[in-house]
Amino acid sequence: MQKDVLQKTSPFPTTGDSALQTNKVLRNTYALLAATLIFSAVTAAISAWIDPPRMLALVATFGALGLIWFVLPKVQDSAAGIGVVFLFTGLLGFGLGPMLAHYASFPNGATTIATAMGGTGAIFLALSGYVLTTKKDFSFMGGFLFVGLLVVIGFMVVNIFLNIPAMSMMISAAIVLLMSGLILFDTSRIINGGETNYLRATTSMFLNILNLFTSLLHLLGIGNSD
Amino acid sequence: MDNIWVKIGMAAVFVFMAWRLFPAAKHWLEHGPRGSSKEWLNVSILLAAVVLFVAFLMSVV
Repeated sequence: MQKDVLQKTSPFPTTGDSALQTNKVLRNTYALLAATLIFSAVTAAISAWIDPPRMLALVATFGALGLIWFVLPKVQDSAAGIGVVFLFTGLLGFGLGPMLAHYASFPNGATTIATAMGGTGAIFLALSGYVLTTKKDFSFMGGFLFVGLLVVIGFMVVNIFLNIPAMSMMISAAIVLLMSGLILFDTSRIINGGETNYLRATTSMFLNILNLFTSLLHLLGIGNSD
Repeated sequence: MDNIWVKIGMAAVFVFMAWRLFPAAKHWLEHGPRGSSKEWLNVSILLAAVVLFVAFLMSVV
């Protein structure tokens, strides 16, 4: 859960944004998203193979958070921002490695991971496709989604110390719903002109997909009784 | 995750994350557009479909 949405652009669709500009942002966002997903998958595979110490994976994840919070806002309007986005997604992929190795060690592990990947892709394509074809505005969900994120983060902090499996499952289920809502929200903001920076749009979408995948993997791992 | 200091570190990161999110949440709650009941019903149907799909995946695995 690393979504930072302190965005400088207007959160509401601005009049006067041309369809050409919107299509350009949309095209660049999905192109960069595809490239960063592939890159992240490669770093995740490398990490799962070499099986680094858990602390190293945590440092990689925290490093990615530092990039998105402190570095990306400074370079998001320049070409250097593309490198930062790739570094950010690569670090997050690397941080995912130990989790993937853990699930792969289960008897049905490879199937679980593949199902989570396929499910994530299906959910993302279906929800994004719905917004792109209907062009509906989902910006009204903003308050609900951000408050939901705060509530879930609160429960996550508590569960770090209590370590209750049922609460962990509920948190994962809530994150799946929140990330699905955020996919609708972020896609709507792109096509309705509320987001004009494709680097910010890409990082938001990437985080939605990553969090959706990890939560779905957790739920499927619970569902897999092995 | 047995090390208490790792737990404390992770909790601190999450708390920082929440602190960064709070202004955006406040902004959207105060100034964001309000959805109609029809729009919320539409969202509910979409999220219910996601829930059903995830339940199906859990039954398959």
